[in-house]
Amino acid sequence: MIEIKNVYKYFNSLKVLKGVSTEIKEGEKVVIIGPSGSGKSTLLRCMNLLEEPTYGEVWLDGKLITPPDPYLHREVIEASKTFVKMVGEALQEDPAKSEEEIFEEVYRTIRENDLLKRHEGGAYRAALKAIAKDNYVDINLARRQMGMVFQNVNLFNNMNVLNNLIAAPVGLKLKTREEATEMAMKLLTRIGLADKVEEYPQKLSGGQRQRIAIIRALCMEPRYMLFDEPTSALDPEMVGEVLQLMKELADDGMTMVIVTHEMGFAREVATRVIFMDEGVIAEEGTPDEIFHHPKNERLKDFLSKVL
Amino acid sequence: MAAWDSFYRQLITLEGYKNVLQGLLNTAYIAVFGLLIGMMIGCLLATTKILPQKKWYVKVLSRFTDGYVALFRGTPMVVQLLIIHFVLFPALGIHISSVVEAIIAFGLNSGAYVSEIMRGGILSVDKGQTEAGRALGFGYGKTMLKIVLPQAIKNVIPTLGNEFITLLKETSVVSFIAVVDITKAFQNIANSTYEYIVPYIVLALCYLVIVLIVTGLIKLVERRLRAGDRN
Ligand SMILES: Nc1ncnc2c1ncn2[C@@H]1O[C@H](COP(=O)(O)OP(=O)(O)OP(=O)(O)O)[C@@H](O)[C@H]1O
Ligand SMILES: [Mg+2]
Repeated sequence: MIEIKNVYKYFNSLKVLKGVSTEIKEGEKVVIIGPSGSGKSTLLRCMNLLEEPTYGEVWLDGKLITPPDPYLHREVIEASKTFVKMVGEALQEDPAKSEEEIFEEVYRTIRENDLLKRHEGGAYRAALKAIAKDNYVDINLARRQMGMVFQNVNLFNNMNVLNNLIAAPVGLKLKTREEATEMAMKLLTRIGLADKVEEYPQKLSGGQRQRIAIIRALCMEPRYMLFDEPTSALDPEMVGEVLQLMKELADDGMTMVIVTHEMGFAREVATRVIFMDEGVIAEEGTPDEIFHHPKNERLKDFLSKVL
Repeated sequence: MAAWDSFYRQLITLEGYKNVLQGLLNTAYIAVFGLLIGMMIGCLLATTKILPQKKWYVKVLSRFTDGYVALFRGTPMVVQLLIIHFVLFPALGIHISSVVEAIIAFGLNSGAYVSEIMRGGILSVDKGQTEAGRALGFGYGKTMLKIVLPQAIKNVIPTLGNEFITLLKETSVVSFIAVVDITKAFQNIANSTYEYIVPYIVLALCYLVIVLIVTGLIKLVERRLRAGDRN
């Protein structure tokens, strides 16, 4: 499961994600739609930390892949100097109130008003460290679980098709060269490109490249696949072959998160559709709910333009 | 053909060619080892600029690189050579052969240029290549080594070749610190025969031939590296 907890992403003053929370469960096919610039790619890239969230946390299979966000942990806030100081003040002001009440109040105030400072003392640091330590996972290990497919493909230009496919499993010592090659050939055969094994990416068509990029990710045997507009940069006649492969992958039970403008594909394959608008999830639901019974005005407007 | 005759006599009969060959060898040493040192320094310096500028020591190193590049690009090669030979090494109590001094001076100098070339080469590799590497689980270092650098090097081979040719020609100033390079060797012949036309024209031809050979070699390497993987 991938858990996105209250993720914010700022590029300097540009606020691209403004508090996104969702979960990607095993077996789900989640399609993310939304207008250009709404933060779809950024959200997807936060899942494997190609973008580091400014606030919030991302969890993969129960492990924290971002640094812990103090605001998401009550015990951390309670260890902060600010909390201790504010509780002290509140106690003096209103001695009648119960301690529990005051704790709750101060905790809320700090959380809602971003009151934590850069330095909040040793206890606070220790609390943060403890969370990081208990849930630590190396991001490079976490990424092996999440294959990613890019809009502009990004096959390695300095390697032929075979080396593109086996570079990671062999380079990361997960498989021997023979094992990796065998798997690569099997996948290549499956997509009908076994004869291109020695070819360099520049010699292939856009559709062939993208399909190879997809099986390159599969060669790592990931549990999740993330797609960022995999067909947007392709010539129209090549879109079909890529979507077909993705559909097969979905049928095989792969957990997938897909940013796409292909509404037909979304309707057919998605188990859940997320509509992003201005950095938040404006609406989410089954394809039927989103496409046939949209509630959000912006979603209705968006659908009227793309359908 | 008195000019030619006296040149021939000086070169062959009086064994001036030995001097010329030694000069040629020195020129080659200084250019080749200078470039090698330059590449090592250049790659290190370029690394400080490419690393994510987050940690304080990376920032310090990156400032150092800025200063280094400004210093070596902002002063003439001859001046650097003179300072190293007459000021720096004596002050440090280092006594080594002038040829080695020249190699070090040219290495330091070309390090500044190579660092800029390498940085440009690395930045010229599409960011998507790095992202794809990282997304597959490669660490920063492995992504650089396996994916970015091979492409960067291929991109900079022509520019590095130019740098080598420039370096090669610039070595003609080493006689300032009493190194006998090919220029100095021909100068000696000219000075002892009082005939200037033939020695200097032959000298120019020597450089030209060397540069043409080097150019050919670079083209060959370039073509090798490009084989197959370009449109
Ligand atoms: N690295 C970055 N630095 C600065 N701004 C960025 C960066 N990446 C994205 N942005 C900005 O963030 C906003 C959202 O970008 P994002 O790519 O997430 O949108 P999107 O929903 O995927 O849009 P599209 O459909 O066009 O791909 C855009 O305005 C974009 O310019
Ligand atoms: Mg996008």
